[in-house]
Amino acid sequence: MRVLSLYVENDTFIHKLEPITKLLYALISIVITFLFPSIMVGAVFVAFSLLLAISAKVFKRMLLLLNVVLIVLLSMVIIQGLFYRENVTPAFRLWGLTFYKEGLLYSLLLIVRVVNMIISFGVLILTTRPSDLVDDLVQKGLSPRFGYVLASVLQIIPQMLSTTSTITDAQRSRGLETEGNLFQRFSAFFALLGPLVLNSLVEARERAMAIEIRGFSVEGKRTFVRQIPETKADRWIKISLYVAFIVAVVWRIILWVM
Amino acid sequence: MGDVSTKISIEHLTYKYPFAKNVSLEDITLSIDAGQSIGIIGRNGAGKSTLCYVLSGLIPRFFHGKITGKVTIDGEDVPTMPLEKLIRKVGLVLQNPFSQISGAKMTVYEEVAFGLENLGIEKDEMHERIDTVLRQFDLYKKKDENPFELSGGQLQRLAIASVLVLKPEILILDEPTSQLDPRGTTEVFETISQLKTLGITILIVEHKFEKLVEYVDKIALLHEGKLLGYDTAEHIFSTSEIETYGVGQPIYTALCKRMGLKKANGYYPVSFGETVALLNGLKGSGMDRRTYNG
Amino acid sequence: MVDAIIKVDGLWFAYKEDEYVLQNIDIQFDDKPTAIVGQNGAGKTTFVKVLKGLLKPSKGDVWIAGTNTKETTVAQLSKIIGLVFQNPSDQMFKSKVIDEVMFGPLNIWKDKKDKNFAYEQSIKALKIVELDNRLEEHPYDLTLSERKLLCLASIIAMDPKIIILDEPTIAQDRFSTRKLAEIIKELIKDGKVILTITHDMDFVAENFERTVIFYQGRVLDDGPTEKVLSNEENVVTAHLELPNLVKLAKALDFKTTPLTIDDFVEGFSTYKKAEG
Repeated sequence: MRVLSLYVENDTFIHKLEPITKLLYALISIVITFLFPSIMVGAVFVAFSLLLAISAKVFKRMLLLLNVVLIVLLSMVIIQGLFYRENVTPAFRLWGLTFYKEGLLYSLLLIVRVVNMIISFGVLILTTRPSDLVDDLVQKGLSPRFGYVLASVLQIIPQMLSTTSTITDAQRSRGLETEGNLFQRFSAFFALLGPLVLNSLVEARERAMAIEIRGFSVEGKRTFVRQIPETKADRWIKISLYVAFIVAVVWRIILWVM
Repeated sequence: MGDVSTKISIEHLTYKYPFAKNVSLEDITLSIDAGQSIGIIGRNGAGKSTLCYVLSGLIPRFFHGKITGKVTIDGEDVPTMPLEKLIRKVGLVLQNPFSQISGAKMTVYEEVAFGLENLGIEKDEMHERIDTVLRQFDLYKKKDENPFELSGGQLQRLAIASVLVLKPEILILDEPTSQLDPRGTTEVFETISQLKTLGITILIVEHKFEKLVEYVDKIALLHEGKLLGYDTAEHIFSTSEIETYGVGQPIYTALCKRMGLKKANGYYPVSFGETVALLNGLKGSGMDRRTYNG
Repeated sequence: MVDAIIKVDGLWFAYKEDEYVLQNIDIQFDDKPTAIVGQNGAGKTTFVKVLKGLLKPSKGDVWIAGTNTKETTVAQLSKIIGLVFQNPSDQMFKSKVIDEVMFGPLNIWKDKKDKNFAYEQSIKALKIVELDNRLEEHPYDLTLSERKLLCLASIIAMDPKIIILDEPTIAQDRFSTRKLAEIIKELIKDGKVILTITHDMDFVAENFERTVIFYQGRVLDDGPTEKVLSNEENVVTAHLELPNLVKLAKALDFKTTPLTIDDFVEGFSTYKKAEG
């Protein structure tokens, strides 16, 4: 894997949206689901996010992503069902343990929030070229230095992984045991970490020199070879999102005051 | 004697890295004309890379430390020139093909654009320059590929392209072929040939002398920070002192020294072609002279 | 007639399913210093990793001094066969030269009383590479050439019978290359079997009796260096170059293949006599 990214190329409506629009949706939907302690609100957003995933033709991959957190979700159900502090009403018994209604409902709330988080961010990640997202942020005001760090990390990390395998080979060739008991593995760790860190620092230095020569630290206007356009659709969606956000905040305040 | 302008002028340059015990460059004086190609040779640690860093502006901007002496390009002072102006005059290509790519771009096309974006070049001009340079260095077909997928030789060509897209008139290459196989090495030297025809002033640090002498007008010999010689290849390599500096010489020169064979002008041959001609001349008359198409 | 210390039988290797990087390699190595040449991607590094046991054959077998690499561990094999990696930064992590060299010996001679033995072996190794006066220095304070010699010492200290050098002349100046050649000669005198992976054809011509050309995962040619490197067709196919002196000899229509300047001078005088 050359790039740490889940992006798959396609040209659905969602794919063509500006990255910031998708980011905005993810952030605002997450904030709203956390503002309201309502499973209904969470479920609505989950449904909506799922619709987006289907429209972007990334549903299957989304399921794979969700699979990864399945265990976490399951453990939430169990822990809250058993130990939530407001547990009063028993719901059912399993393996001699009592699961309570309040805890189960609370865990459901947590689940819809987490699932929405994953799906909304998943839509962003699966339909957006990583460097496009960074370019878009930089074009809208993010420091170019920070943007560079974000973009390069995605490719440098896979490179570091391949260096790690060379380092492992070199040290194993000198008799280092990488299997075996805990103590052996612990000592092996330093023999692998040392060269990796040093190597990465040396390479980072060389790369810093190379980008310096190509004007990275020059102040002033920057241009972009890949321009990320903001279409009418993007503007409408962003406006709707801002409105939804304001409405949600006001509503929440009203509910709180009442 | 034509209108040859002095492109690069160095006078009494001395430099020491911060925290270093000794100076890396001591009292260097030399000048280079526009369009010339200069080879820089010397043992590892002689100061060759340091000289490259001073000329490209990395010293003092990246490495700090104090420079004494004068370094000018087109008459303007290099250490104090605004970086924006300097990188449009000088490009630098380093040894390691992999650590020269920015790492932030996912295609060859965007990688070449990196420098142009930093300088704020307008979009239309960017596209034009990138297309030109990709075709020039035979990378157009690879423009949508990820830079990390390229071979060593291709990466060095990409590094050269990414630097030349900024249109500098001077290109410095610091051991550009040291990590490459013979095919990659040939690719880089062929690219240098191309650059010469474009009139670009070239400085190249190299240990592969047999190849180097075919491409440069003069050679600068550095030893322990000092400039010990700055002359044509035949002058530099014909001396017997070259052995004492441990720098080495083209194998052809070593051979001819052993056989005691000098050219008509009194110097030893340095290149393949000269050696063949000289040895052929010794074979006697009426013989088949086959020239090698290498 | 020395027995084969490395025996490779019908070796096939693939990293990914059905994409064979090494195809049907049958080869043996005795005590002759041998150079393995080929362009990047030809399979040389993979081959050497298989010899070291870091990779196990997909098909076929490899025997190192009679032991099948499939039946032992990399650590065990490192007592007989050592590999000096190309990039010193891929292995250096200690803060003193002596500690870096002792790392390998301490791993393979784990017995407490062998700590002294590991120390002695390390000093011996450092003497061979002429770094024995730099014991307490930090490895990163050494020049790149010295670091490469340090890595060589770290393998010599483990006292393997076979030492493989991966691209030892890359980024080296001529002085260091000459020094390396002398060290190799000394190791051969000590009875070590030296193999090298390299593109430096002049280095091969001057120091290695036997040359094996790898091309696209197969052995394209294998034999005495003079013979292999005089076959221009094979050399060009493998995207390599002739050593400079051989190139010169061909241009002058020599009948012999000179590998060193001495060879060339001899060849030339014989040649002149024959023609004159």
